[in-house]
Amino acid sequence: MKFNWKLRNRLGLHLILMLVSLITVAPYFWILSTSLKFRTDVFTPTPKWIPWPINFQNYLEVFQMAPFHLYLLNTIIVVTGILGVQLVTITLAAYVFSRRNFWGREFFFFLFLIQMMIPIHATFLPNFLTLKKFDLLNTRVAMMLPFFASGYGTFLLRQAFRQIPRSLEDAAVIDGCGGLRFLWHVLIPLARPTLVAFSIISIVSHWNDYLWPLIVTDTPEVRTLTIGLGMFVQQESGADWTLLMAATAFVTAPMLLFFLVLQRKFVESFMLSGMKG
Amino acid sequence: MARVVLQNVSKHFGTVQAVKDFHLTVEDKEFAILVGPSGCGKSTALRMIAGLEEPTTGTISIGDQVVNDLPPKDRDIAMVFQEYALYPHMSVYKNMAFGLKLRKFPKHEIDQRVKEAAEILGIQELLDRKPKQLSGGQRQRVAVGRAIVRKPAVFLFDEPLSNLDAKLRVQMRAELSKLHDRLQTTMIYVTHDQVEAMTMGTKIVVMKDGLIQQVGPPLEVYNEPVNLFVAGFIGSPVMNFIPCRILSKEGRLLIDAGSFQLPIPEKRTSYYHSLVDSEAIFGIRPNDIYDRAFAPETIKGNAVRSVIDVIEPLGSEIHLNVTTGQHNLIAVVDVQTSYRVHQEIELAFDLDRMHLFKKDPPHLRIKAEE
Repeated sequence: MKFNWKLRNRLGLHLILMLVSLITVAPYFWILSTSLKFRTDVFTPTPKWIPWPINFQNYLEVFQMAPFHLYLLNTIIVVTGILGVQLVTITLAAYVFSRRNFWGREFFFFLFLIQMMIPIHATFLPNFLTLKKFDLLNTRVAMMLPFFASGYGTFLLRQAFRQIPRSLEDAAVIDGCGGLRFLWHVLIPLARPTLVAFSIISIVSHWNDYLWPLIVTDTPEVRTLTIGLGMFVQQESGADWTLLMAATAFVTAPMLLFFLVLQRKFVESFMLSGMKG
Repeated sequence: MARVVLQNVSKHFGTVQAVKDFHLTVEDKEFAILVGPSGCGKSTALRMIAGLEEPTTGTISIGDQVVNDLPPKDRDIAMVFQEYALYPHMSVYKNMAFGLKLRKFPKHEIDQRVKEAAEILGIQELLDRKPKQLSGGQRQRVAVGRAIVRKPAVFLFDEPLSNLDAKLRVQMRAELSKLHDRLQTTMIYVTHDQVEAMTMGTKIVVMKDGLIQQVGPPLEVYNEPVNLFVAGFIGSPVMNFIPCRILSKEGRLLIDAGSFQLPIPEKRTSYYHSLVDSEAIFGIRPNDIYDRAFAPETIKGNAVRSVIDVIEPLGSEIHLNVTTGQHNLIAVVDVQTSYRVHQEIELAFDLDRMHLFKKDPPHLRIKAEE
């Protein structure tokens, strides 16, 4: 009897999970399916889930109509650029806040925390004006600069560093590995899970950034995928759903692949950060 | 090889004075133990020798060099910590090699030293493991190994055995003593465990409230404690203390503890004569109190009736908690003693081994020998 109960519970659970998965996956599948259809197959009395015959032409057309390869390149540059600088700044800041004593340490850390409290949109105008003053508008740097320092990342990493026992630092100092060498040889390797988690969160959020890149760019040469897609929807495709879906599939594919490869790390990172993507 | 000298060293943390006016010389090849209750400043003193804390005043020398301004890595010391402090992301081998690598030793020498140390400590088969795959005892061995490979002039140990279970602690204690014999290097060891202090050290330094109370070989500290604190701290079970008055009766001196009186041995009379009619504290170790039935003939006359409160049979001996008049005492008696709780027992005191302490703090011991 006990076994049956267990089996029934498990079956019920799996049914629910399957249903939820289906609802989640369906839109993506529909995007992919539509992007491979002929225009005439889009609106049919009975929905066609499997496109047949398959039409790859949509993707070629999309690339002819808008420079999506350039958007992709820009996105990669912006996302990795932000992450690269962030890793350096948050590591150094977290080290100083967790391991060095100096006057006003708590106060300065509090200022860092405030950055997490203020909605990013509230800083758009001053950031925009600053960039304008430095003549940086409509550049890739403009999309990256405001995100180079991350209060959230600093906070996350500081907590990780603080959990590393003091005696480890004492041992390292006696081994001749104090200061930044201790950071490099001991703290960073030990805080790697936190760094990976932060990297994933940073990549995902900046890959999907829309508003800020839209505000600071106005030529296709520097635009990112999300802006490119937005422009494409409004100007190029009209109501051509096959082209639109091909573009959407192209824009979302890298993140989906990224997710599939690093699935486990994704889940870990959101558990670690205690927030939802 | 080096001698370590601390002169007039003190350390303040804000308004708290952790170490006060510390004078200590640890000779070359000596195994010195700093012992005292927690918060007595022993770890702070050790950390100052290591260079992990800066002394507020005073000078610290290692060898012939004043090291106050030298960073820890240049002091030619190695330290073993209570929590092992192994780098969790490195293998045992890398943990041991790390310090040498940073000092740019050639690879083959690092390899040779690590393997040599691993052999001494019997951890050859653990070299590829990560610290989390090791037991507490193995971790502590690796931590010691990390210190050995450096071939330092001075080894510093900060309560290295406190995290181990009792059995392993006894084993490691013996191994560290053997290691000291083998390496013939100056070692300074901090512990709150007086058994470790007694069994391992060639010199023990008893501390309390940041002050050194007594420095000397273990048996000297045990037999001739300078004050009540040292007498109570060193030795297990702890020494019995009874407030008393010294009386003179028919040419003999007596200890009057209220509920009983004991005669002071004649050879001590001259030392204690000035105390007649004044108050003092009588101290006697539990091992110097016998069940009268099994006591040496010479002390059978110094017997006092007591009531047994608790019996703790340890196999090799029996600990009795007894009430003698208004005083509670502990006695270590012969295993053949067969009494039950609440029964009366006659306890004989070996007064040749008694101590007297002054009534007023710091309760200095009144000397009874040259």
